[in-house]
Amino acid sequence: MTTIIEARQLQKHYGGPLAVRDVSLAVNEGEFLSLLGASGSGKTTTLRMIAGLESPTQGSVLFRGQDITHVPVAQRDMRMVFQDFALFPNLTVWENVAFGLRLRITRGRYTSDEVKSRVGQYLETVQLTGHADKMPHQLSGGQRQRVSLARALVTDPPVVLFDEPLGSLDANMRKVMQLELKRLHRELRKTFIYVTHDQEEAMGLSDRVAVLKDGRLLQLGTPDDIYFRPNCAAVASFIGAANVLDGVAATTPGGTVSVELAGGVRLAAADNAAGVANGEAVTIMLRAEQVRVAPAAGGAADGVRAQVTERLFLGEKVRYELKVPGTGLRLTAMSSGGHPGLGLGDDVLVSADPGHVRIIARGSAPRADA
Amino acid sequence: MSVAAAATPQDRRQLLIWLLPPLLWFTVFMVIPYGMLFYYSLGSTEYMTFKPGFSLANLVRVFRAEPYLSVLLKSARIGAFTAIGATILAYPVAFCLAFHTRSARAKFLIYLLVIVPWWAAYLVKAYAWKTILGTNGIINALLLDLHLIHEPLTLFLYNQFSVVLTLVYIFTPFSILSIYAQLERIPTSIIEASSNLGATTLETLTKIIIPLSIPGVIAGAIITFALATGDFIAPALVGGPDAIMVSNVVINLLGVAFDWPMAASIGIVVIGVGTALISVSQYLEHRAQARF
Amino acid sequence: MRELGSRRTSWALGWSVLAFLYAPLAVMAVFSFNDSDFTGLPFQGFTLRWYGMLLEDDRLLESVWNSVYVALGVVGLSTLFGLPAAIALDRFDFPGKAWFARLVLLPIVLPGVITGVALLLFYMAMHFRLSLYTIMLGQGTGLMCITITEVAARLRRMGRSTEEAARTLGANEWEVLRKVTLPGVMPALIGAMLIAFSISFDEIAVTYLLTGRQNTLPMTLWSLLRREATPEVNAVSTLVIAASVILIVLGTWLSRRGSGEPVAAPV
Repeated sequence: MTTIIEARQLQKHYGGPLAVRDVSLAVNEGEFLSLLGASGSGKTTTLRMIAGLESPTQGSVLFRGQDITHVPVAQRDMRMVFQDFALFPNLTVWENVAFGLRLRITRGRYTSDEVKSRVGQYLETVQLTGHADKMPHQLSGGQRQRVSLARALVTDPPVVLFDEPLGSLDANMRKVMQLELKRLHRELRKTFIYVTHDQEEAMGLSDRVAVLKDGRLLQLGTPDDIYFRPNCAAVASFIGAANVLDGVAATTPGGTVSVELAGGVRLAAADNAAGVANGEAVTIMLRAEQVRVAPAAGGAADGVRAQVTERLFLGEKVRYELKVPGTGLRLTAMSSGGHPGLGLGDDVLVSADPGHVRIIARGSAPRADA
Repeated sequence: MSVAAAATPQDRRQLLIWLLPPLLWFTVFMVIPYGMLFYYSLGSTEYMTFKPGFSLANLVRVFRAEPYLSVLLKSARIGAFTAIGATILAYPVAFCLAFHTRSARAKFLIYLLVIVPWWAAYLVKAYAWKTILGTNGIINALLLDLHLIHEPLTLFLYNQFSVVLTLVYIFTPFSILSIYAQLERIPTSIIEASSNLGATTLETLTKIIIPLSIPGVIAGAIITFALATGDFIAPALVGGPDAIMVSNVVINLLGVAFDWPMAASIGIVVIGVGTALISVSQYLEHRAQARF
Repeated sequence: MRELGSRRTSWALGWSVLAFLYAPLAVMAVFSFNDSDFTGLPFQGFTLRWYGMLLEDDRLLESVWNSVYVALGVVGLSTLFGLPAAIALDRFDFPGKAWFARLVLLPIVLPGVITGVALLLFYMAMHFRLSLYTIMLGQGTGLMCITITEVAARLRRMGRSTEEAARTLGANEWEVLRKVTLPGVMPALIGAMLIAFSISFDEIAVTYLLTGRQNTLPMTLWSLLRREATPEVNAVSTLVIAASVILIVLGTWLSRRGSGEPVAAPV
């Protein structure tokens, strides 16, 4: 696995606070890497620095080991798909896609016959063959996006950058395009670097995900890693619905750990691989779908008594907001089965498998979230 | 974002309240006067009084007889040179404003710097050039000082060149704003996309920016052309005998020559051309906007 | 990264053109202090006497006052008739709308002389005597169009949502007008008023034909400038520039404030 793009300690500010702070990451050749974060997290700025559309105030960008930090954008061998598609309004679909190729005819890279066949081929790949003579304003959002994609791919770049390309499409179109992108990535075997704020999108499409917040890279790993082994509370709360709670650890000589949360609620945690000390302040994460909720009346084994304060029927799942009476402790639970008879105000028993209670941070040092 | 046709009687009443006063005004102070212009153009003069008539002879004379036709053509030529000159001078400033000025404050500052000479007294600006180009003006003084000439040159002033120069000077600010408006409309992402696809500055300029901005630029140039062609200050102040333009002719016809029908005829022709120019300009502006 | 090409070249070219625009004005200003009886070279020493003469020139001062008077009248007229026209054009559809819109643009494109001639014929037919008021009416017609253009542009940008919101809250048409539309349009309106004032102050083409016995400043300047004049002309010119500058800065600042844009949309 070779590194094709590397960002080293990238920093960017616009005369005010830092938009990107000390971001370093290495992109493997051929992978689908997502930069995931909320708006203002620095993900787009990082992508644009890789593309050369912004220059870092500090740090460097490397392409196959060569420092390209000061190489102008037109000379970098990577293409970008823009959020607003950026199609040239004065050119037809065909001319838009052919634009990059035609520039290279004079530089001896392509002949005009090659251009014709490549454009035709990529128009077919994005299923727009019949629309070649249309102008951009005559196309729908999804069609424009596909032209934008074909235009980026047709010059056969090793790296393709995506700046929230599906943001302006409606939900159904987005799902279709997501599958399309995944298929293209598999077939073309290029490196895709993809910026999005949609965590489902990032998780579903990528080989690896980089989570950014406030200009910092919080964690870089496979979707699996990010989901089940977040390294801090911020990552944990960003992905999916998670219960991120502070407490005090209590260890036993046998190596097990339990965590005492607010109000004396005690949860047994996974084994003490993290090596926390007795009495140490820790933060645990428990995924909402791993919280077991059962009616209190039904003779269920044990658990923490709680009350349902909110019930949201989401179709494929049901989401419960729970409160442990007498404490400030609130929990979220997601269940797919639906517990018959669980409604607002019901008394329930909450429990969780110790293996699902993960310690993700130690000490009462300031956490990486707000 | 106008509403659909006035539907309810309430809407219609509202429309009438808004529309009638200005409509009345325009009818009284524009339509009727233009009508009178037409009426006069059909008549003739006898012994210094106007005799109404029904002849198109005057209107025909505008196109056939000297010196009218040549004055019209010369004015149009001066107008065209002015439009071209002003556009060429304006482009760098508009370009700089649109692509090389980042902060909103800097843009506003330069915008003001551009407007101020534009609105500052027209007469003053025309006269300033007289001071610069004249025999004891700055240019001659400089050339004399540098011993490049031995006596002041008269070729800078009182000819078509000085008229065009003065008019270009007067209209450049307007062109700057017009071109800037076009360039500013071009989304940044398009420029980035072009660079990202490998285009050099020149290629982006010629393949994307210029084609996109041309319709609007021309629309603005047409207005400059119209205004410059109809100017009478510049030819009167810095123009010579061979730089007489349409408006000067009209004024002469009203005064000493006392040929009101002829003056009116020229007026009608100019109105006709003006209306056509507006239509062309509007069409171009429309096309420029429709694409984005 | 909107930057295209070399920043330095672009700025150099841009500033050269701006220098070209300002140089003649600077020359005028400098020579207004020339202690010589000629407006050209040589520069014979610094003096303020031309400004002094200016302030004692009654004819000049009177024409300044006349210009102000006319300009105020013009502003009033163009607002009074221009605002309704802009509302009609932006908010309603009616037969002949396209022609009306074109009619509105016509005076801007036509040589002032032609507009002046047409109005002159009209006044003669109506046996109006030429005066400051005939000038006012003539200029007003043309400047009305600028007001209409500016206000209509602002109305277009404003959109109808604030007005519709007011209606859903129970306001009737007059309240909507008073409390939502007018305040919303005010920056553009004030800007247009200041611009109209400034243009009227400087206008000569229409004025030339419609002047009676009282002269406006441009007319007085015109007769002064036609002769080989003293630096007093330069002094007048410099003061006129200074005044216009102030008005334009005010007008632009007010016109753009509250519309959320730092620089202009198409003029």
